[in-house]
Amino acid sequence: MIRYEFLMQIRKRSLWISTAVLAVAMVVLQGDRGPRYVPDGTPARIVMTNWAVLFGVLLPLGFGMVLADRLVRDRRLGVGRVLDSLPTGPRTLVAGKYVGSVAATAVAGLATMLVAAGFEFAARRDPALFGWAFVAFALVMLPGLLFVGAFAVVTPMLITAPLFRILFVGYWFWGNMLSPLFLPSLTGTLLTPIGDYAASWLLGETALYAGVDGILPWLRPEPGATAAAVSAGILLLFALIVVLLVGPPLYRRQQRAA
Amino acid sequence: MGRVGWVGWSAPFAAVIVAVAFAALSRATGTARPYVADVLLAGLEAFVPLAVGLVAVTTIARDVGRELHLALPRAYLVTLGRRVAVVAASGAVASIAFWLALVVTDWWSGPGPATATLVWLAPTLALTGLALLVATVSRSVVVATTTVAAMWIGQQIYAASMAASAWGRPFLLFLTSRVGVVDGWLTNRLVLSLIGLAMVTATAGLIRRRLLDEEER
Amino acid sequence: MDIKTRDLRRDFGKVQALRGVDLTITGGMFGLLGANGAGKTTLMRILAGVIPATSGQAIVGGHDLSTREGRVAVKRRLGYLPQDLGLYPDLTPREFLDYIGILKGLDDTAARRRQITDLLDMVGLTDVAGRKLKGFSGGMRRRVGIAQALLGDPALLIVDEPTAGLDPEERIRFRTLLSSLAGTRTVLLSTHVVEDVAQTCRETAVMAAGRIVFTGPVADLVSAADGVTWEVTTAGPAPAHGVVVSAVSRADGTRYRVVSAERPAPDAVPVAPTLEEGYVALMRRLSPAATP
Repeated sequence: MIRYEFLMQIRKRSLWISTAVLAVAMVVLQGDRGPRYVPDGTPARIVMTNWAVLFGVLLPLGFGMVLADRLVRDRRLGVGRVLDSLPTGPRTLVAGKYVGSVAATAVAGLATMLVAAGFEFAARRDPALFGWAFVAFALVMLPGLLFVGAFAVVTPMLITAPLFRILFVGYWFWGNMLSPLFLPSLTGTLLTPIGDYAASWLLGETALYAGVDGILPWLRPEPGATAAAVSAGILLLFALIVVLLVGPPLYRRQQRAA
Repeated sequence: MGRVGWVGWSAPFAAVIVAVAFAALSRATGTARPYVADVLLAGLEAFVPLAVGLVAVTTIARDVGRELHLALPRAYLVTLGRRVAVVAASGAVASIAFWLALVVTDWWSGPGPATATLVWLAPTLALTGLALLVATVSRSVVVATTTVAAMWIGQQIYAASMAASAWGRPFLLFLTSRVGVVDGWLTNRLVLSLIGLAMVTATAGLIRRRLLDEEER
Repeated sequence: MDIKTRDLRRDFGKVQALRGVDLTITGGMFGLLGANGAGKTTLMRILAGVIPATSGQAIVGGHDLSTREGRVAVKRRLGYLPQDLGLYPDLTPREFLDYIGILKGLDDTAARRRQITDLLDMVGLTDVAGRKLKGFSGGMRRRVGIAQALLGDPALLIVDEPTAGLDPEERIRFRTLLSSLAGTRTVLLSTHVVEDVAQTCRETAVMAAGRIVFTGPVADLVSAADGVTWEVTTAGPAPAHGVVVSAVSRADGTRYRVVSAERPAPDAVPVAPTLEEGYVALMRRLSPAATP
């Protein structure tokens, strides 16, 4: 079942169009401190982590938008009527749809990193760039994608996909980019899905706002390997709770109402 | 109204509530008054236009994404326009009510009554026009909503550099809440409004041409 | 696989969709007739384990549908073709059937795929098995629907309005296919198209306003119109008395078939009724004012 959910998602043109448009937008807007301008001889780890941070600013927006209708569309298309008559329970269905569709979305994200690695390789001639593209994606972008994906797939069953999309945009800015120095925000905490802690660890310096003073200081440890692991773990835990505990009853309720 | 759905007309009000909640949280955590006032202003200038733009897409998206076989295509264009108008009207009502509440409670830090409407009207027209045009061209809710979201977040991130640049300032959606009523503010509001109207007009033209092609077929 | 319900009820808020349904089905092809809104789909969905009953009892193949275990046990041996069948437009029929087959618990990949090939052949979709479902017509989609219902060789097939919206050729093909399936399994066919039942079922039940108002052999339902079915040919207007069931234009006027307790016109002649006339006669007896 995961295979077909993956196929359906990977075949969505809008996934690739929005990923490409957002990636190009970030490349154009990166400014003179972007990864493109990192000096020659910089380790591949630094170069590709910078790319992961850059793409992480906007790409998850597209991921959230494209994943928002994965479960609600079963009701919209009427497929749910058949699915509900099958012996497979809602937990398996929700988990399978989540894994399949998020995996396909991850492919799009990984592809942008590999394309960036390709461009960098043309200039820097360092084959390690490709390996670090995988690592930076896995450590910086993937935990956030799993976290965002869980909420994107489940929340619309509760508040509708349009309302989710509006709140998601607001959350993405508030929780990842709004400086915590002047206004209360979750930016720079262990709960930040943009991958700030992982990126800060890989770069050896604060990438965005990781550890910066703000509300909930106990969620703002100094960046490092442990903090990066804890951050990824927390994001994964939330994703699991949402998919395995919150999603199934909502899915069952949605199907019964159809 | 029914076809617009409860989300269509309630989303702008939800945006106002989120802005007020965030302002209250800021105040409770000791944020200085000018910043809290900016948050409330952002509610009017950034949150409500975002809500209107994103919801406007979904009121028409299902229809522009399909091949339609219609008996009365011209009347259908009017129907689509009506749906968008409901969402826009809801945004206007929410915005005006919010503005009045801010004025009455002495939390308003924007321009005087003569031009206060432009604080929310300009970005609403711009974002809604963008949303509708991209939805019509791409026939995709995902591409349209992603474009609007990226524009919103991108301008939030680059607000300072856009405001500081002569070519960027006229296009900054959030000039009032991020910088203030400064030189070029009125030009900015008018440019955004005209661009928004142009995109809405282009959208109507595209849909009309597509519907007429259907009719001819 | 037999079906037994006792005083089955289902409410949706204030709406009583089922008001105490007692039904026994022992096997073969069974037709469930009734107008739109009679409660047929609600009953189908309860028997398919999709929604629970509000009260009453439903036992399918010895499994109690009021328990989760009972519902899962029934679903393992069930094939369900819902009224408004939805498909994933970006999958091909082969992929969609494989998807459903996996969810039905058919874990042997090779056996599952062989079965899918056979089913696609049975429903005449082999040539388009690799085309995306997006471009399929209503009839083709319905064929995919019956194929997915037959995955796993179910003992019980519940088919809800299978011929609605199909052209005559598709409708005949469907009826023939359904009839061929009844031999070794129970097929419950729910429809408002009387001809579907007439052509395929030996036993039938009629539902109206959430209740069963008739159950028995199809021949008995036909008999409900014995002595009250007439044929009259006239160049004038349709007979005012009774219910006109059919009107066929001819050179010498229009031939009407009418269900009426008394002779509808002086020159009307009594004729042997059809199932449709039996259905109309029954509904008239139940609610003379409401019958169209």
